[in-house]
Amino acid sequence: MTDTSVKEAGSRPAGMAAPGSRALGSALPRILMNSGLAQILIALVLPVAIVTIWQLAGTNGSLFGGVLPTPDRVVSAWWTWAFGAKGMGLNPYSGTWLANVIFSTERVAEGFLVAILVGVPAGIWIGWSRLGAQILDPTVQMLRPIPITAWLPFSLAVFGISGFSAIFLIALGAFYPIVINTTQGARHVERNLVRAALMMGAGRLDILRRVVLPAALPAIFTGLRIGLGIGWTAVIVSEMIAVKSGLGYVLWDAYYVGRMDVVIADMVSIGVMGLLSDQLILLAERWALSWRLAGAR
Amino acid sequence: MAEIALRKVAKTYFSATPVRALESVDLDIAEGEFVALLGPSGCGKSTLLNILAGFEGSSEGSALIDGGAIGRPGPDRGVVFQEAALFPWLTVWENVVFGPKMQGLPKSEYEGRARELLATVGLKDFAQSYPAQLSGGMRQRVGIARVLVMQPRALLMDEPFGALDAQTRMAMQELLLTVWEKLNTTVVFVTHDIDEAILLADRVFVMTARPARIGREIAITLPRPRSIDDLTSPEFTRYKAEIMAEMRSAHHQAETA
Repeated sequence: MTDTSVKEAGSRPAGMAAPGSRALGSALPRILMNSGLAQILIALVLPVAIVTIWQLAGTNGSLFGGVLPTPDRVVSAWWTWAFGAKGMGLNPYSGTWLANVIFSTERVAEGFLVAILVGVPAGIWIGWSRLGAQILDPTVQMLRPIPITAWLPFSLAVFGISGFSAIFLIALGAFYPIVINTTQGARHVERNLVRAALMMGAGRLDILRRVVLPAALPAIFTGLRIGLGIGWTAVIVSEMIAVKSGLGYVLWDAYYVGRMDVVIADMVSIGVMGLLSDQLILLAERWALSWRLAGAR
Repeated sequence: MAEIALRKVAKTYFSATPVRALESVDLDIAEGEFVALLGPSGCGKSTLLNILAGFEGSSEGSALIDGGAIGRPGPDRGVVFQEAALFPWLTVWENVVFGPKMQGLPKSEYEGRARELLATVGLKDFAQSYPAQLSGGMRQRVGIARVLVMQPRALLMDEPFGALDAQTRMAMQELLLTVWEKLNTTVVFVTHDIDEAILLADRVFVMTARPARIGREIAITLPRPRSIDDLTSPEFTRYKAEIMAEMRSAHHQAETA
């Protein structure tokens, strides 16, 4: 289980933050620091400070000579964007937020799904079978250094200005971390687990499905989280150029017409969606790997 | 129940420098017999067990079970591993019924037996626990139950209690004796613990190291049923002295060879 450290670092519960705070001496502050509410409050200090300074630095709703809007302008731009009346297409930044969020999220979901459906079996094959490694791995390793941004023109030429273009880039970007982590997981299955399964009469497919896949699952989830992050990068990049809808399209469009308030509201929206989708994966991971947490008490 | 025969079995691992792990092993194990392979760690006794299990092939000679060549691993030869090797993502119950399920047996045929075995090894109340929630001894009891549920012809045990503390180990040895006396399955038990070998086996084979071969065979005629109380009997001590002398001379031979 090579990924233990990665996983545990990512999901370290509140109670484990103790070492640093021990320096504070008495037990009372330590308990306060470790409570859930205190954790949230501490986490909010820096963002609140940044937003406050940003707000105070501006005059008349803007700073840097009008280059950037202040946070209150961003919030009101977002409010209109989210809840304003749809102006028959005359104002693209009124009442269209949800539709664009859905456009992007759908593309990420579809591309991500393709990446999982291709990446996990491919990774299991590469990690488990020598033949699979010989056939697939060199090609994967040769294609991997090409950044997804470099695939944009290719994708445009093949799929045109359409959602497929975005989905292709998302799937490709998410595929690499998924396939590589799955490979690692499948490669390091404990030998005696496989032997035990063989001894109990398991066939080749049983071994893959009931031993290699579950044994690789912790590593696969690491790949999924990284892949999803790349998926959000890919959707924004491709919507900026290859598609005429979604958060990435609005981001670029708003920049062109000088609506930096919408640009920033859009950025925050992307961040929130990325965070939410990551939490979704974490939730799925906690469910699928409950057997691992069982021993931790 | 099975008869096991090894004829001039040898094993060489072809790495950068070829390693001779086993040298011309001849071994006959009768049906229902309990045999212990005793030797220092890394002497090749596990290799022998892996050949019997079908995990590895032999380089020379033949390994037979009931007169037929030993092939791929299968449920007729139940293996108990040193660290239990349970599937951590399955509950105790799912681990125990894994074998029968893989063989496509109908539930009615194995569920009662599995429940009974869990009770026998004292884990009735832990059926829904995951291996990570169990102690080492409990895990090994699951490892034994999941093998016995398949009603194997032979039990191959690779230092199954080696990682347990002394107290747990003794409890496990008694449990194994009780279970075995009821089932009378052929058992090949690999260990480096002299007491364990004498307490459990009908015959102890003392193995020499590098390459492993069978140095001497010592028949243990202590009456059955045995218990850990036998560990302090004079006959037991006599066997122990004999085996220790044998192991010392085997070690000496290996050093001077």
